[in-house]
Amino acid sequence: MSLVKLACPACGCLCDDIDVELEGNRIKRIENACAKGASIFYSGENPDRRNSCQIDGQEVPLEKAIEEAAYLLKRSSRRLIFGLDSSTLEAQAIGIELAQTLGSVLDDSSSFCQGALIEKILDGTIPSCSLPEVKDNADLLIYWGSNPSHAHPRHLSKFSYYSYTEYNELGWLPKVKLGCVEVRETEVSSLSNPFFKLKPGEDKDFIEAILTAARRSGSNPGEEADEAKAFTELVKSSHFCVIFVGLGLTYALDGDFRLFAEMVQEFNPSTRIAVIPMVGHYNMRGFNQSLYQRIGYVNKVSFAGAISYGDEYSFLEQVRNHLADCVLIVGSNPFSNLPYSIMKELQGVPVICLDPFATTTTKAAHVVIGTAISGLECDGRALRMDGEEIKLTQARVSNYPSDEEVLGRLLDRLSR
Amino acid sequence: MNSSNERQEISLIIVTHRDIFQWVNQIKGLKEQYQERSAVAWLSPDDMKTLNIEDGDKIKIRNALGTIVVQAKLYSSCPRGFAFMPVGHYSSRLVEYDPGKARLPGFKRIEVSAEATEEEITPIPELQ
Repeated sequence: MSLVKLACPACGCLCDDIDVELEGNRIKRIENACAKGASIFYSGENPDRRNSCQIDGQEVPLEKAIEEAAYLLKRSSRRLIFGLDSSTLEAQAIGIELAQTLGSVLDDSSSFCQGALIEKILDGTIPSCSLPEVKDNADLLIYWGSNPSHAHPRHLSKFSYYSYTEYNELGWLPKVKLGCVEVRETEVSSLSNPFFKLKPGEDKDFIEAILTAARRSGSNPGEEADEAKAFTELVKSSHFCVIFVGLGLTYALDGDFRLFAEMVQEFNPSTRIAVIPMVGHYNMRGFNQSLYQRIGYVNKVSFAGAISYGDEYSFLEQVRNHLADCVLIVGSNPFSNLPYSIMKELQGVPVICLDPFATTTTKAAHVVIGTAISGLECDGRALRMDGEEIKLTQARVSNYPSDEEVLGRLLDRLSR
Repeated sequence: MNSSNERQEISLIIVTHRDIFQWVNQIKGLKEQYQERSAVAWLSPDDMKTLNIEDGDKIKIRNALGTIVVQAKLYSSCPRGFAFMPVGHYSSRLVEYDPGKARLPGFKRIEVSAEATEEEITPIPELQ
């Protein structure tokens, strides 16, 4: 029997306090994991859920699957590499190199998730902070368009409201206020005071009203909605406000954070504001940051000739416009999560998919390579939603190759 | 469904959201529990009344992109004209992506029509 402490690859929280008890090579008990984390670890032991290596649904040895994938990529002229958000930094580095070597288009889920916000944080337009800085220091926490109870279940207890030193389950006098901006009642809205409830799509109008209220002098009350005034007063009366931005806000703003950045600037410097993106995939932040440091862009790039960036290189645009003649998907499930009307356009295009689990995407793929679960079956590093590096540790022996190994072997073959 | 035979079709805007139980059941495999958590739309009391349905009845939701049958659930504070659905195989059938209208896919603004139905919930294999 052995006890190991692991980091969890279920979401961008990358909780690094997961205790796993192993009996031989099997998991006997898991402590501290949320339902999402536990489902990944336990499903890893279910052979029905794992992918073997396959070509057109027929099981093949790993070497044969890699050979077929390399062949498909080599004979193509317009390759598209997508995903890597659920791969380690090491695998991402090789994935980026592979895209460069092949002159491929490269994109990840952040192009329709938090990429635009992360870019503004990386270029300094929007201030951020680390999650450990939040605890005991921030006196106002606002979840905006985010419901951590379902997307990031341990966020409140590990990093924000319930993580404060003075919190005691028997009761406490919090020195921090919890607020939320949301279009429906959620677990977080029920804890929040105040809860700013908007109609779907009203976020932009709300920010505009906040900006107007914030710019007006205190002695000259305006006609903005009471809610916007209340929000403004709430933020102005705090010293350190952290806004956790979820996809609800990102989609309401259609990925354009300029107005939101203006609002944040308006409150600074009287109130320190930090914005943290609620990142879904465990290493989306890592992908964005790695690519940004390498070429100055967070996603949607083409390495065909000179490096190019733009919406035309987003996964969705590439598929919609039939621009790719071979697609390599690493650790992502777009056939389940993206609009079917777009995904059906991939019919007839060879898809290669690397994933630990059987998904709708692996079902649609021509070549499937079953890979190791990061942080349980292979080592590596990843960046948490706040950009902090977290180490992932292999806990058990696995026959599955890591993304890093598969991508490395593909790179090796295709560089010759 | 109520005994009245009146059939009413209404327009709705669906807003998708995350559901941890649905997410977990997707990892575990696309079985019955996944369908139960995915094939559901939360509606306002006014819209339920207009559709002449009760909590748990089935509705057919459609737009130019697809048609699905899901269970309607009552969400007392849902604004009239809106509905909430988890992101997944069901809602993805109806989501539009048109960069001429918006840069991001319409996960938070799916325009559909809805009506009560006796048809079965759309089975998952039809959506794969």
